[in-house]
Amino acid sequence: MLHIKCPYCGMRSQNEFAYGGDATVKRPELNKEVSDEEWNKFVYLRKSPRGKHLELWHHISGCRQWFKVQRDTITHEIFKTAEISEDI
Amino acid sequence: MTTVSSLKNIHKKGLFGDHEGKKEDSLIGIKEIKNLLIVQVAQYKNSSYQAKEISIDGLSLPEEALKISCNDGTRILWCGPKNWLLISRNKDLLKNIKKIVSEKDFAVTDLSHSRTIIEIEGENSKEILKKGCPFNFNELKKDNSVNSVFNGIAITVDMIEENPNIIRVFALRSFGESLYHSITDACLEFGYRGI
Repeated sequence: MLHIKCPYCGMRSQNEFAYGGDATVKRPELNKEVSDEEWNKFVYLRKSPRGKHLELWHHISGCRQWFKVQRDTITHEIFKTAEISEDI
Repeated sequence: MTTVSSLKNIHKKGLFGDHEGKKEDSLIGIKEIKNLLIVQVAQYKNSSYQAKEISIDGLSLPEEALKISCNDGTRILWCGPKNWLLISRNKDLLKNIKKIVSEKDFAVTDLSHSRTIIEIEGENSKEILKKGCPFNFNELKKDNSVNSVFNGIAITVDMIEENPNIIRVFALRSFGESLYHSITDACLEFGYRGI
């Protein structure tokens, strides 16, 4: 079982969290013309890296906040967590 | 409005589990807590109001995880950043809260009828929670609270007293029966007293 350090609550069990996907994906700017290809890339295309990965997690059974996690997809080691507005 | 207990016809009084040959006082006590005012106070994300300045029933809003502000009748639990759960025996407090906090900055929601509250008391009460909840209960001290899960049910735990432990567990009312059975099953090996 993983233990994840929520930036608000501290170290908690993975059972309390929900995975929220790739944190590097950026939504195309609002009110800007977006091609089908760009939109398709934003909605569907994801990388599946082997190694360090920046992810979104939701402390769904705790403080209900979203935050960023830098995790190794091979070893599951968690290097760093940060509030959503912070950079890792 | 008449209130109907969420554990009506479910919570049974008496002695259960492995209670034979044990003193009644040493058994775990399970009780349903009713008729409390439960209010969620949430500050809007775009609000810049200093929550520290607010005083409800003489209590400030806690700003750290696990923390509680409390007096004899009222407890304010930290539930997340800019999010608090107020529990009180004083039902008139809701009107006061609405006067104290501005509608522009805070959402105040009465949740009194939407929660089941089970109080567990006794020496082994933390052991019961450890069976279904991944939180390290050794860290939980008097006047601390935590949001977590118990056998998949989202719960809020409020540590009222230490030595002997008195712990309140809050869950959504619709999960009340399931939570009650989960807790009482976990209590069987110690023996418990339905109060």
